[in-house]
Amino acid sequence: MQDLGSKRLIRMFSQAAMAIDAQRDHLSDLDGAIADADHGMTMSLGFRAVTSALAKLGAEASPSDVFRTAAGAFLDAVGASTGPLYASGFLNAAKHLDGLDAVDPAAMLEGIASGIAARGKGSRGEKTMLDVWLPAAEAAQQATRENPAELWTYVRQAASDGAESTRTMIAVRGRAARVGERSIGHIDPGAVSALLIVGAMADTFGDADLAI
Amino acid sequence: MTERLIAAKNRAERSAAFNGSRVIPLKFGDDPQVWACWLYYEDRLTQGEIAEAMGISRATVNAYLADARERGIVNITLDPQRLASLTIAQELKRHFGLHDCLVVPSSEPAASLIGRLGAAGSLVLRQFVRSGDTIAVGWGRTILSVAAATSLTGLQDVRVVQATGSVTTGQPDSPEICAARLAAAIHAECVPITAPSIVSSSVMRDMLMAEPLIQSQFEALSQASRALFGVSSLRPNSTIHSSGFFDHAPLQTYLALNAVGVIAGRFIDVQGRAVRGPLDDRTLGISLDDLRGIERRIAVAGGIDKVPAILGTLRGGFADILVTDAATGKALLEADGAKELNRPTQRAQADPGRPAEVQRRHVKKFLNNPDDIVDEMLDGASRAHSGHLEPVPGTRRAFMALEAPHEGKVGLVVGGGSGHEPCFLGYVGQGMVDAVAVGNVFSSPPPDPIAKAAQAVSGGEGVLFIYGNYAGDTMNFEMAAELVQAKGIPVRTVVTTDDIASSRAEDRDGRRGVAGNVLIFKVAGAACDKGWLLDACERVARKANQHTYTMGVALEPCSMPQTRRYNFTIGPQDMEVGVGIHGEPGVAREAIQSADAVVDMVMNRIFTEMPSQSGDRVAVLVNSFGSTPLMELYVLYRRVEQRLKTKGLTVEARWVGHYCTSLDMVGASISVMHLDDELAELLAHPCDTPFFRVG
Repeated sequence: MQDLGSKRLIRMFSQAAMAIDAQRDHLSDLDGAIADADHGMTMSLGFRAVTSALAKLGAEASPSDVFRTAAGAFLDAVGASTGPLYASGFLNAAKHLDGLDAVDPAAMLEGIASGIAARGKGSRGEKTMLDVWLPAAEAAQQATRENPAELWTYVRQAASDGAESTRTMIAVRGRAARVGERSIGHIDPGAVSALLIVGAMADTFGDADLAI
Repeated sequence: MTERLIAAKNRAERSAAFNGSRVIPLKFGDDPQVWACWLYYEDRLTQGEIAEAMGISRATVNAYLADARERGIVNITLDPQRLASLTIAQELKRHFGLHDCLVVPSSEPAASLIGRLGAAGSLVLRQFVRSGDTIAVGWGRTILSVAAATSLTGLQDVRVVQATGSVTTGQPDSPEICAARLAAAIHAECVPITAPSIVSSSVMRDMLMAEPLIQSQFEALSQASRALFGVSSLRPNSTIHSSGFFDHAPLQTYLALNAVGVIAGRFIDVQGRAVRGPLDDRTLGISLDDLRGIERRIAVAGGIDKVPAILGTLRGGFADILVTDAATGKALLEADGAKELNRPTQRAQADPGRPAEVQRRHVKKFLNNPDDIVDEMLDGASRAHSGHLEPVPGTRRAFMALEAPHEGKVGLVVGGGSGHEPCFLGYVGQGMVDAVAVGNVFSSPPPDPIAKAAQAVSGGEGVLFIYGNYAGDTMNFEMAAELVQAKGIPVRTVVTTDDIASSRAEDRDGRRGVAGNVLIFKVAGAACDKGWLLDACERVARKANQHTYTMGVALEPCSMPQTRRYNFTIGPQDMEVGVGIHGEPGVAREAIQSADAVVDMVMNRIFTEMPSQSGDRVAVLVNSFGSTPLMELYVLYRRVEQRLKTKGLTVEARWVGHYCTSLDMVGASISVMHLDDELAELLAHPCDTPFFRVG
């Protein structure tokens, strides 16, 4: 049982890496509209580093080991602002999953969201990746209370609504903040890449056939 | 027949005299539309007179003139600023189904926006307030500005009622002051609400509402036929935070409920729904439903930070008359998905005769594997400059001066993304920067190389970090500082914010760091080299930053090595004013102007901010963004010095060239450092680095 949670998590990271690679140019184009067009590149570099670090991980690694390894690899690979943000998110997820053999989705999402929010001193409504991660984490908690079977449906929907909501927002963080009103109407690239990761999570963990 | 018609007819007939019919005069080619236009617009004949002169029907003349507009033979232009405002106002009115809309042109500086909105608001009042009206009035800087701009006489039986209770005493734009000022301006009776806007409990509110005096005041409010209010955003820079409003309210609670703004003391979300929260039962003021029930509801609000809040106001139907500025109006339309406004100054000229230029998808570059470009560049640079610098042990992304560490001296560590060469690596050497950490293209380095660089150049007196104000750099340098401090090395940080175009003067700390960095590194490096203590080095670096003013203008975008594509676009006739060194779009896009005019625009902004007096000294840096040649930089510098001279300022030191680039961007920035004795001396202190030498 123990390795199943970690294996899935590793598969999730590799799916996310593939999804981000496939959307690399698209993410950079979105970023170019409001900032410096490096988001696709940065995310792709980071997730490639994560997957290659995870490939070296021993079979006995726990889910929190997986997140810790991912955090270190991501941070060393990219820097930028995404580096510290995701590194802090993954590290915090590792803390939330400490001592667990299986992955608790709500704890994982809550860990990522609050880790990112703390590092970036951000909140929702600021046209960032948090507009995906915070609603996703809340949806997971709501689903845990109301309808655990549909957890990933809740999360997917909340994440996708969150990403879409960034269109009407004005960026107040990062480089996009400098373009002021010209950021309005553009979806936030960080929110889009966050959505890709949430999608990979939902694909990996929402698959009932593989349920633990 | 009028005289001018006779004259025109004679002209027409003279030119047709030889064949005795009204053929088209030779000068019009064979184009009757051009002829008709000439008679109409140049000779100012009426359409009937033209029909007579050309020997055609009036309907044909009319059709000719219309076709001529279509074909672009005739172009009618309005002042673009006015036209843009007008177009946006019309589109806002249509899109949001408003009763009316007034848009003032957007212009800098932002401080005067409030004044112009106030003047526009007073125009709306003049048009929409009649005798017998009761006006419910909100509060805030904008509403106070409307009141200040208004002077109406001849109205009878008008009442001005506070829409909410009162706020913190001493607030200059409080509900009570706004209402009193407006009432005085239109000679109306003022009905205050003599209770606080927010009270400590719902019980207290119910008690107050039961008071006959307050009941009578709310009775007046319920009769309002006009509402005038501002829209407050919940953004950190909003004046609502200093108003005492959130002394009572957990802002985070409301943000978590998706509130984006406050109108008349009530929270709304971006869809225009009321956001229910802990303050509802403790608020004394008009309800959102009652507000919506008022016949004419005038919202006066501008500023892009307010866009979500204004969107909520319009979507929720709380306002049916909007007064705003062009930039905000345009943003509102874009945010609501209204189709993009045509740029009236750029009429598309269809020219089927010429094939469209094939759009080149990729920019040519000297590349191997694009993913390796940063490592290969660093390898080449460290070889090329091996006389000055060497790699920091244990990382490929940090370099240190050959002389470092200096025992007993503060180590200066700078860094940032690559793509700005010679920033930052080119300034490593004796007397300037001790070590750099280098990130990927336009990306901050991770904490690890920064921390290793800091440890490598620590000479026992601590380390000073200087880097540009960007979210990524800040987080990575902060994490690195924590790592280094954990090893017992004191770290101080100065974040550079010299780009005056990136944010308003009041928000100096929010500005980004650009080419002025180089001068700040020089000053700090000299202080470290002189053996100053960490405190003093930090202080003088901070001062250097405060005294440095930079603004850039891009003519063409830059292209990323990984994609070989431009990372934004600039129209063929445009320039990007206030562009950042990562190719971030600037703060305004304008038609390209002459070199001198561009310099004047930049220098005017710098002079507005720099508190200089005749006789003061400055240092100047004219910097290429990559593709602008030295030839043009000298043209710019020439004008920069002329402007400084006429201000009576002495150019004590100047640098012209490639100092802080943005890959292959076409454009330049101008930095001016306002010197005092200390800064002048430190700038003149000898240094020897690959790209900066003094003495």
